[in-house]
Amino acid sequence: MADRSGARFLTELMSLHGGPGFEHRVAEYVKGALAPLCTDVCYDRMGNLVARIAGDAGDADAPADPHADARPAAASAARPKQRPPRLMLAAHVDEIALIVTRIEEGGFLRVAQTGGFDPRTLVGQEVVVHASRPLRGVVGSKPPHLTTPEERKKAPSLEDLFIDLAMPEVRVREQVRVGDRVTIHRDPLELMNGRIAGKALDNRASAAVLLECARTLRSLRHEADVYLVCTVQEEVGMRGAAAVVETVRPDIAIAVDVTFGDFPGQAPDESFKLGKGPAITFGPNIHPQVFGGLRDTAVRHHIPYQIELSQEPTGTDANAFQTAGDGVATGLVGVAIRYVHTSVECVAYADIEDCGRLLAFYATTVDRSVVEGLSCY
Amino acid sequence: MNEQELRDLITDLARPVGPSGTEPQMQAALLDRVRDVADEVFVDVLGNGVAVKRGDGPHVLLAAHADELGVMVIHIEDNGFLRLISVGDVDPHCLPGRIVRFTNGTVGVVGAEAQVKREELGFEHLYVDIGAESGVEARERAFVGLEGVVDEPVREVAPHRLAGRALDNRAGCAIAIAAFRSAAAAGRRVSLVFTAQQELGARGARTAAYRLRPDLALVIDAAPCGDTPGAERMELKLGAGPAVKIVDATAVVPARVKDHLLDAGKRLGLAIQYEVWPRGRSDAGALQAAAGGVAVGGISYPARYMGTPAVMIDLRDVAACARLAAEAVTSYPG
Amino acid sequence: MLLKRLTEAMGPPGFEDDIREVIRAEAKPFADRCDTDVLGNLICEKGAGNPGVRVMVDAHMDEVGLMIVHVEDNGLLRFRALGGIDPRVLVSKPVRIGRDGRPGVIGAKPVHLQSQEERGKPLKMEQLYIDIGARDKDDALAVVQPGDVAVFATECETIGDGCVKAKSLDDRIGCAVLLEILKRTYRLPLFAVFTVQEEIGLRGAGPAAHRIRPDVAISVEGTVCFDVVDAPGHGQATVLGRGPAFTVQDGRTLADRRFLEFLIAVAEKYNIPYQLRRVKGGSNNFAAIQRTREGVAGGAISVPVRYIHAPAQIASLDDYEHTIRLLDAVLREIEAGAWTG
Repeated sequence: MADRSGARFLTELMSLHGGPGFEHRVAEYVKGALAPLCTDVCYDRMGNLVARIAGDAGDADAPADPHADARPAAASAARPKQRPPRLMLAAHVDEIALIVTRIEEGGFLRVAQTGGFDPRTLVGQEVVVHASRPLRGVVGSKPPHLTTPEERKKAPSLEDLFIDLAMPEVRVREQVRVGDRVTIHRDPLELMNGRIAGKALDNRASAAVLLECARTLRSLRHEADVYLVCTVQEEVGMRGAAAVVETVRPDIAIAVDVTFGDFPGQAPDESFKLGKGPAITFGPNIHPQVFGGLRDTAVRHHIPYQIELSQEPTGTDANAFQTAGDGVATGLVGVAIRYVHTSVECVAYADIEDCGRLLAFYATTVDRSVVEGLSCY
Repeated sequence: MNEQELRDLITDLARPVGPSGTEPQMQAALLDRVRDVADEVFVDVLGNGVAVKRGDGPHVLLAAHADELGVMVIHIEDNGFLRLISVGDVDPHCLPGRIVRFTNGTVGVVGAEAQVKREELGFEHLYVDIGAESGVEARERAFVGLEGVVDEPVREVAPHRLAGRALDNRAGCAIAIAAFRSAAAAGRRVSLVFTAQQELGARGARTAAYRLRPDLALVIDAAPCGDTPGAERMELKLGAGPAVKIVDATAVVPARVKDHLLDAGKRLGLAIQYEVWPRGRSDAGALQAAAGGVAVGGISYPARYMGTPAVMIDLRDVAACARLAAEAVTSYPG
Repeated sequence: MLLKRLTEAMGPPGFEDDIREVIRAEAKPFADRCDTDVLGNLICEKGAGNPGVRVMVDAHMDEVGLMIVHVEDNGLLRFRALGGIDPRVLVSKPVRIGRDGRPGVIGAKPVHLQSQEERGKPLKMEQLYIDIGARDKDDALAVVQPGDVAVFATECETIGDGCVKAKSLDDRIGCAVLLEILKRTYRLPLFAVFTVQEEIGLRGAGPAAHRIRPDVAISVEGTVCFDVVDAPGHGQATVLGRGPAFTVQDGRTLADRRFLEFLIAVAEKYNIPYQLRRVKGGSNNFAAIQRTREGVAGGAISVPVRYIHAPAQIASLDDYEHTIRLLDAVLREIEAGAWTG
């Protein structure tokens, strides 16, 4: 890591809180970092952040109203006018979170999921309750002295867990409302070999990829307009993704999302090595030419990469991108992290740099002929 | 509309048998209540009933699903018994011993195969006995695809409280009608959709929102109470006022919309509850997803026994929901 | 035979290249133009400029298949399913892998070496491997790569009394119906769409319909049929030989009642046998098409197929012929203005 500002950006980003539907502070932070590198930046109606880097072809026309065009007689009718190719690179910036469902006697809070926590990882966890002001709390656990051998054999369910704010019930009720959000409190840790651990690496690691990409792209020529997008509400079902396709109307949409780091006992095709480069996904959810273009780019620029195979729609924004509107040529890349959906997710920063470079160099290859070729099977 | 008028309206609207898929036949009865003040009313290809009023201000869409849970005949046995599948998420345990009324007027009793253990009971073990003595007779009175509901008329079980079939969501339709009429009278630009096939996963709402492209979509629906013995964990109480939707399984309500609804409630001096229903499937998500992201909010009336043939609601909640919805529509700043 | 050419081609979801070439060659002489979209759907237009009801008919090209995901040191291939395959049908079946159709067999531990307990349990997909005869990992990697796909190696043949046996009758039989329809001329704008990725969630049809904006859409689909020994009347779904089947409700669709009545009226007018699909499970592309844009009218016409998603499926040639006749009649009636939208 020659320049440590990228890693600093990432750890700052990890420290921010933003569950599905309240990503604004995270998006604002990313916006602050991207804006100086981009032609323009805006939010769409869902709250997705859209930052555009105009291509060399000159300033593009604004995205047209997708519904203004009359129904063409032939399905194959050409687009009304030539515009620069549009490449969208999108990382969701929401993190898995909880939501307060009840304030119990004594001021203890019950919660439900907004995103997929494994309740077993929550026991004893420190959290932040986003009440009228942020409150620190702990997920309570029964001490071993009091648990029966039977209880110890069972995994706790979220229903049984509670959050302790260490304050009297009246003070809790003054400040906390049903519907307040809860996120994990965890300061990022720097481990050996440039590895970083903490919460929300899924998917803030990919936001860092977008920043690395934007930086690399500054010194490169590219015909395509490149849209760097932070999507919202991925963890509750890719809700921002379809909307942003309507906003940007990309020719190619590449989701940037984390994948599974290797760990003993995992299947070989579901385990990727940390520090061995980004994983490029191949399968029905992915346009074969986008996959091929990414892989060829990696080879040409000596960027290490791994191939991830998928057999069904992926659990990422790429799923929603592919079938939005008339259909979109879709790609998926990402860095491997270990312990996904816990507070100690773990990444190698070198992978983030490689992934950003891969996407930047790929962007230079996207021209009109590439876009026209996407519909040729 | 006052509580009395709403009670009469809900009781009338709850009469038509309307499981998902039969909405086109039912929409006339709903749309008749707004025809006089709307500029345009129509039923679309999925069976959504739509009323549009041109006017000033941002375009607000009120959405209340018209359909209810039900059953469908899927096979007729040679001995005259009918086999069933569910329409929507119907618990098969609710059905044995109940009277089913089909859309064509045929009535029968639901039976369950006796050898099946209670916990294993599924729709494949249920049948309807319409009193037919042969398959030929049964085929004269029923057909594959015929839909019906458990017959459970609406009753006033206590002052302010109704219980019975289809209250979820004909009560919501009544609220939406009242709010639409007020907003139209105030000269606002407002639309109303009685959505189709909500119980099957909000299939109608999405196409309706795509066509109408509102600036705000407000979902009016029931939300379950947690105030009964041994209830699942929910904060809502019957009779404690309208619930403003915070989050359900389909959507997170944007803070801006949520605050607008809470402020409207405050201006009216209403007691407001917060709906956090992590398993709740409403039209909100489908409306939000249509057409590049639509601002969405929700006003819910608390309801007990949702998903069963006899839902209980409180008319004071309904009346307050109607006032809140009208205020929220007419004061939305866009 | 058309059905043989279609069913023996390869085309798991997302990998429809081979079957698309076969279909394109068959369709090209009869369509005004054949284009692919960005997902790989093949859209064949005929009379797109005609006035009248804009009709989209579709059948999916893809079939359930397998993807090689890893090569073991001993040269055996690990795989995962592309689409819904019951692992119990896989053991001891031949497959063809990759574009050149390299043969392999799916093997498992011999029954002799299995414990009494193991024998009672179905084999999981993780316990099965494809054997291509490779001596070791390098030998295998010289001809097969992770990411290559495989399909069942089933020969298409006529069988029994007027039946056909093949793999992928779901939905190559629908593709065959569409190709027969394309040979005829209708005075309306017709779009015959051969879709991708139906088997992994109806993913091709929605974008195609979004592009085409049809007034009416009809999906032609091979559907479940279990009219066999021990199946009760309400567990059969459809009966072989009793004609094309219409849907009242399936896993993802409630019938568009007006169109269902229209289909029934046409079948009765033309004296074509039909049946109603008597099962809630399963679905077809119409579910995705119906919900595009402002909503689309239409429905599905299904051909009963026994042992759907298994290596050897059976369909009735009478049902096939009747489905062609029915779809032709439906288009003639729409052409004549009988469907008023």
